[in-house]
Amino acid sequence: MPALTIDNRKIEVPAGTNLLEAARLAGIKIPSLCYLKNVQAIGSCRVCLVEVKGAKTLMPSCVTVAADGMEVQTNSARARKARRTILELILSDHEGDCQTCDRSADCELQAIASDLGIRQITFAGAKSRRMTDASTPALVRDTAKCVSCRRCVTVCGETQGVGAIFPQGRGFKAMIGPAFAQPLSEVVCVQCGQCAAVCPVGAISERDEIARVWEALDDPKKTVVVQTAPAIRAALGECFGYPAGTLVTGKMVTALRQMGFDRVFDTNFTADLTIMEEGTELLTRLKGALVEKKPVALPLFTSCSPGWIRYAEHFWPDILPNISTCKSPQQMFGAVAKTYFAEKIEKRAEDIFVVSVMPCTAKKYESQRPEMYASGERDVDVVLTTRELGRMIKQSGLDFPSLPDGAMDSILGASSGAADIFANTGGVMEAALRTVYEIVTGRPLPFENLHVAPIAGLKGIKEAAVKIEGTVSDWSFLEGVTVKVAVAHGLGNARQLIERIKAGEQYHFVEVMTCPGGCIGGGGQPRLTTDEVRAARIAAIYKEDEGKQIRKSHNNPEVQAIYAQYLHKPLGEKSHHLLHTKYVARERV
Amino acid sequence: MKTTRMHLLMCFGTGCVSSGAEKVRDSLLKELAARELTDAVSIEDMHEARAAGEVAVVQTGCNGFCACGPIMVVYPGGFFYQKLTPEDMPELVEEHVLKGRPVERLMFRHPVTQAVIPHYADIPFFARQNLRVLHNKGRISALSIEEYIGRGGYIATAKALLEMSPQTIIDEVKKSGLRGRGGAGFPTGMKWDFASRSKSEVKYFLCNADEGDPGAFMDRSVLESDPHAVIEGMIIGARAIGAHQGYIYCRAEYPLAIERLTLALGQCRERGLLGKDILGTGFDYDLEIAHGSGAFVCGEETALMRSIEGKRGEPRPRPPFPSDAGLWDKPTVLNNVETLANVPLIIANGAQWFRSVGTEKSPGTKIFALTGKVNNVGLVEVNMGVQLGEIIYDVGGGIPGGKKFKAVQMGGPSGGCIPKEHLNVPVEYESLTQLGAIMGSGGMIVMDEDSCMVDMARFFLEFTQDESCGKCTPCRIGTRRMLEILDRICAGKGEEGDIERLIDLGKTIQDTALCGLGQNAPNPILSNIRYFREEFEEHIRDKKCRAGVCAELVRAPCQNACPAGVDVPGFVSLTGEKRYNEALKLHRERNPFVGVCARVCFHPCEGKCRRSTLDEPLSVRAVKRFLYDQEKTPQLPDSIADGKNGKRKIAIVGAGPAGLSCAYFLARLGYKPTVFESESKPGGMLRQAIPAYRLPREILDREIDMIAGTGVTIKTKKKLGTDFTLPGLKEQGYEAVFIGVGAPQGLSLGMKGEDGQGVVDALGFLKEYNLTGKAKVGEKVVVIGGGNAAVDAARTALRLGAESSTVVYRRTKAEMPAFAEEVEEAEREGVKFEFLAAPLELVRKGEKLTSVKFRTMDLGDFDRTGRRKPVAKGENDFILEADMVVAAIGQKLVPSALFDGMAPKQNEREYLSADPVTGQTSVDWVFAGGDAVSGPSSVVEAIAAGERAAAGIDAYLSGEAHAHWRTYRQSDAFFDPDADPIMGERPTVKLIPVAKRKGSFAEVELTLPCATALAESKRCLRCDYREKGAN
Repeated sequence: MPALTIDNRKIEVPAGTNLLEAARLAGIKIPSLCYLKNVQAIGSCRVCLVEVKGAKTLMPSCVTVAADGMEVQTNSARARKARRTILELILSDHEGDCQTCDRSADCELQAIASDLGIRQITFAGAKSRRMTDASTPALVRDTAKCVSCRRCVTVCGETQGVGAIFPQGRGFKAMIGPAFAQPLSEVVCVQCGQCAAVCPVGAISERDEIARVWEALDDPKKTVVVQTAPAIRAALGECFGYPAGTLVTGKMVTALRQMGFDRVFDTNFTADLTIMEEGTELLTRLKGALVEKKPVALPLFTSCSPGWIRYAEHFWPDILPNISTCKSPQQMFGAVAKTYFAEKIEKRAEDIFVVSVMPCTAKKYESQRPEMYASGERDVDVVLTTRELGRMIKQSGLDFPSLPDGAMDSILGASSGAADIFANTGGVMEAALRTVYEIVTGRPLPFENLHVAPIAGLKGIKEAAVKIEGTVSDWSFLEGVTVKVAVAHGLGNARQLIERIKAGEQYHFVEVMTCPGGCIGGGGQPRLTTDEVRAARIAAIYKEDEGKQIRKSHNNPEVQAIYAQYLHKPLGEKSHHLLHTKYVARERV
Repeated sequence: MKTTRMHLLMCFGTGCVSSGAEKVRDSLLKELAARELTDAVSIEDMHEARAAGEVAVVQTGCNGFCACGPIMVVYPGGFFYQKLTPEDMPELVEEHVLKGRPVERLMFRHPVTQAVIPHYADIPFFARQNLRVLHNKGRISALSIEEYIGRGGYIATAKALLEMSPQTIIDEVKKSGLRGRGGAGFPTGMKWDFASRSKSEVKYFLCNADEGDPGAFMDRSVLESDPHAVIEGMIIGARAIGAHQGYIYCRAEYPLAIERLTLALGQCRERGLLGKDILGTGFDYDLEIAHGSGAFVCGEETALMRSIEGKRGEPRPRPPFPSDAGLWDKPTVLNNVETLANVPLIIANGAQWFRSVGTEKSPGTKIFALTGKVNNVGLVEVNMGVQLGEIIYDVGGGIPGGKKFKAVQMGGPSGGCIPKEHLNVPVEYESLTQLGAIMGSGGMIVMDEDSCMVDMARFFLEFTQDESCGKCTPCRIGTRRMLEILDRICAGKGEEGDIERLIDLGKTIQDTALCGLGQNAPNPILSNIRYFREEFEEHIRDKKCRAGVCAELVRAPCQNACPAGVDVPGFVSLTGEKRYNEALKLHRERNPFVGVCARVCFHPCEGKCRRSTLDEPLSVRAVKRFLYDQEKTPQLPDSIADGKNGKRKIAIVGAGPAGLSCAYFLARLGYKPTVFESESKPGGMLRQAIPAYRLPREILDREIDMIAGTGVTIKTKKKLGTDFTLPGLKEQGYEAVFIGVGAPQGLSLGMKGEDGQGVVDALGFLKEYNLTGKAKVGEKVVVIGGGNAAVDAARTALRLGAESSTVVYRRTKAEMPAFAEEVEEAEREGVKFEFLAAPLELVRKGEKLTSVKFRTMDLGDFDRTGRRKPVAKGENDFILEADMVVAAIGQKLVPSALFDGMAPKQNEREYLSADPVTGQTSVDWVFAGGDAVSGPSSVVEAIAAGERAAAGIDAYLSGEAHAHWRTYRQSDAFFDPDADPIMGERPTVKLIPVAKRKGSFAEVELTLPCATALAESKRCLRCDYREKGAN
């Protein structure tokens, strides 16, 4: 435990702690822009400079490791002046249209400038290269606002292992973006939006589609339905000042209803539906392999996460047959809303307008894929991120905290606790195991409180083995089989897991979620998602699950109803048409 | 086997090849073959760049003396032949090679004495060098490992691997005190020690051959001429730290270096010097060349390593240092080319030998690429600790074209400049850093008076700004903001406070940037501001670039160089069209004294004339003289009649060039100033100091009368402090005063007995004659000093009947401040000159002066003006007979005699302090200019100061700016921008014969014939010309 002095205060910190974290432990907040704990410490923005006794120049506290006997001044005249100048320089090259920027009041740069009390920019001058890239359905990049902190580069290249954007050019002309200044649409970008999630300013954001929703709501001919993904309810509150991990399901439903949506439905419903289809698919493949001895693509990979799908299409085309053909819950919802629900209310598909609220930017892209027109129309018309929904609620003038709790509408609104946990890493797998195990053995999953502990938490790659004993007659071929499952979140981890599988590691079922932490850490969630925030949101989700009467997807009465009345059986012909899809190998540019 | 009796070493460095070495070689081989002195080989057959036979021709790497190329050195004997042409070869082969008679004609000559220096080693350029790292340069073929081994190569490797342990290698390098030659000067042994202590199976030993400073080519030259020296250094280093793989990071812009390195690596592998089990010792080490793409930042070690890894070359914060985590996060040592080339020498000869030259903290030698405004451009290796001035003047041969040395820039874009006042600095790491420069990798760019320090700063910053990796904020944006400030200063849009902003931001960038590139990027700017702040101020305040470089501040370099700002191309082109009256008026827009300046101006315009790059500068003064001679009645430009101004009382004290100009320009604004002159006639120094043979009195009178005619009253015999006072003027209702009293007091010699008989000061002597027409003169006159007053006094003494007249100056002729043409005429008239002598004692017989004892001087260290200081050379004294000694060693102002109770503030040199733009002094209604402010200076400087004060006084009185003559109007004289320049020689001005000058004060110079003058005016390149609509 190195002991050092920070601003004349003695403090002991764990070995390896950088000065920025050490100062935080001492109750001193050093401003910083490029640093992102557990993601990036590269000392590039120079905002966090401090004076270290004996050092020739000021030292970036984010990359300087605390050492025994170090004497650090975080607020000396020299450090203050340098910090101000650095910030003024950044501001001098920044667009500065704060009032109309979607990060207004939610911008790290603005906050630091405000904290430091910067009222004028001493060194004004020319602005560097300006370029707006709105080539993808999900994201809009505006280099005029970029501060070159490189968080996006690190997240894209290292956390996600995608590498769609990196520094280009030199000097003042250096900018962050795809190679050769191409648009994002032309490179391997999977549109996961993790870049937008870590951007401290408004340089990368989701494509804002609130206006299209208002337009639909204002159109009397449309029946506008909304679905909200499980991860929203644990994060939306943050847009209104609630601490991370506050569940606001009821207020959210009320808000949506007040804003004029004709039905407030739940993506959880189709999450349960997904378990029915995907669980059956897994069992079918296992049967093919074990009984029929057919060459079957195993392990089976989950398919809920559109960023993961696009990543696999670009980087691992040979494993596409292993990916479940199930559409994501969002797309399943769109398909049944414009068919099953439309029939129920005696409307045509084109009269239904489906809005989904997702923690995800890739969902915007997914909804536009050509495979997603099962109803004859585009199944999901508009995808809003959690952040957009937050803004839309503010636009509608609702005082969110004072709203009463509401409940989801039927017939696409009921859900099990298993659906809730789709929001976090390990959740889809756990939900599937809850159902599959019970189908195969007739007994509940033998884990405490139904939670498969080995695959919970924020570890990058997790695995579990479940031995199947006491099968019911249909599934006796699984007697004694140990089902091995693995879970990866963050595409960088997914890559490692795939490489492991290619090297011979055997699993039956693999869950991949694009974003670190799963959907609760999605690219469309309120900023800034740190590991602490992830843990808090996950805890809320588990709470939601545990509070549910029904904890298993196959017990959802509305799911049972749709099979009874409409789909007839999992993997049946109607399911095949509405709920399943196919994938395309793509170039790796 | 044939015996080779003679080796002809031809330099095939880049410089010599571009000056024609290949054609010389072809001719040489032809001549040798014709005499059967060498195998008849065609050029294509020349194997390994060598033609053998009785006489061998060897193509070597760069010899270093690039300014003299193509070069050949002949052994035995070491004869140095320079600037060879193919036509020289028959004579050289016939005479030297065949008959053994060296050809003097093709040898190097001493630049000053013109003596022939036949031997390579005696040429000052080489004599002051100490070739250690470069000991093979120009001696061996870079393509042959045998030749390298033949000169002692790989002995050090064998010793290190067979006889020394890794630790003893490190200890030896530590003891040697070798420091990194890449620029930072970190002790090499220490770096190796750190890496050797790092625990890791895998380590790397790298060479940084990514030389990127503009103007630096040391490393390229070493790699191209002696690649094995670097490889050897790497093998030894790798052994010391325990590395088994290495990379030479070399930029793709050095294809020849890469080619030769590749060849050398192959030769090493074939001979077991690289690869597995080197020399049977069990030590494995192999090397690869990593190609860089020329990013400057990849010279930074962490960026270089990223680049070798195949990633974007960007620095990362340190620690961890590469000795712990470098290439692929393994312990790594990176050394520069020159550092590594020193290693085999240290191992082979020992640390003590290495320390035998250089200084305690900076032992050994250092290679510099000497470039810029210096005669001997080339690659030089000198001992550390040598004086900077020695490199520039002795090795470098001084500044070409008689221009003045300004500064030397060291360390390229990360370095700084060292100005003339620090030429004595020993070249070593610490002393250079103290002056704000750095050793750097060895780029040494010499700058003369034509270099603009603002532009230079901008150039380097533009470079670093372009080469910044863009990772950290201060480097990416901060340097850009600095560049923007410099851009606007150079464009004439500088603002008050810009200098402070540059310093402020520069210091912050130094303190905050991530890597060395960023931290050092502000160095050239801060250094230039430190030493040349006034040039920055001139750009900002006066919108003036004294060097004539900044395009937007300079219309024509001649006009820019003229202190008075005379539109030179304008009046020259009008003269060429015989529009004499217009030309005279145009000249008098900025300077009334056409006739005077046609005689006595030192014409700085000609020094900057662009024509000199084509042939010779335009003879502006001769054209002006011709123009003035065409004047029938005085031609005056427009004035403003202003009744109100005419009623205001303005006093001008001193009717010299400054005072009269001030009066003239005030009159052109409608004022009616009164000039008070202490002497009996107006003219000041023009009349009192300049003899009539240079400036005829009627010319002077005519121009003074012309000024009086504009409404100026001149009152003579009115002396400030005696006949009137400033408070008195105030009482009389004078609203403003201009003080232009000059610096009329001669400085005394400070010798015993100088108040006695026979000793006068030059000004007093000249004044006496010039005002009264007579002055006492001795028979044997000795003038002490080297300025114009000394030469004028010596020539006047001869004219007044002195038997002999001798000027004694303590420095050499080259340092004399007097105009060269005046010195030349003085010599022709019989004035004798003694140089390098200082007076020691006045020898008297009784009261009577009989002789002066002098001490011989030598030039020693450099003084603050960048000239070598005269120092006594032992007690080598000599005596000159003299009955009259004229002291001409300087002038001063004695303000105490002039002012009572209302004295304006003085500067540290005891001249008056005045605002450089308006001439205003600390007393708001008192203005000043000319020698009284600047100290002894030129006529045209005084005229300019008078003009500035006139505008200043007008602004003070009226609160507005009315100086209408400052508005520039482009000449409408014909000019065809697409035509070729009109060719012709600069005319020689005719003088009256020396015989006719004796006892006569008639003007020496004659005017140009009409046709010659008109033709000369057409030689003007019209730099002032701009397309219509262009700026």
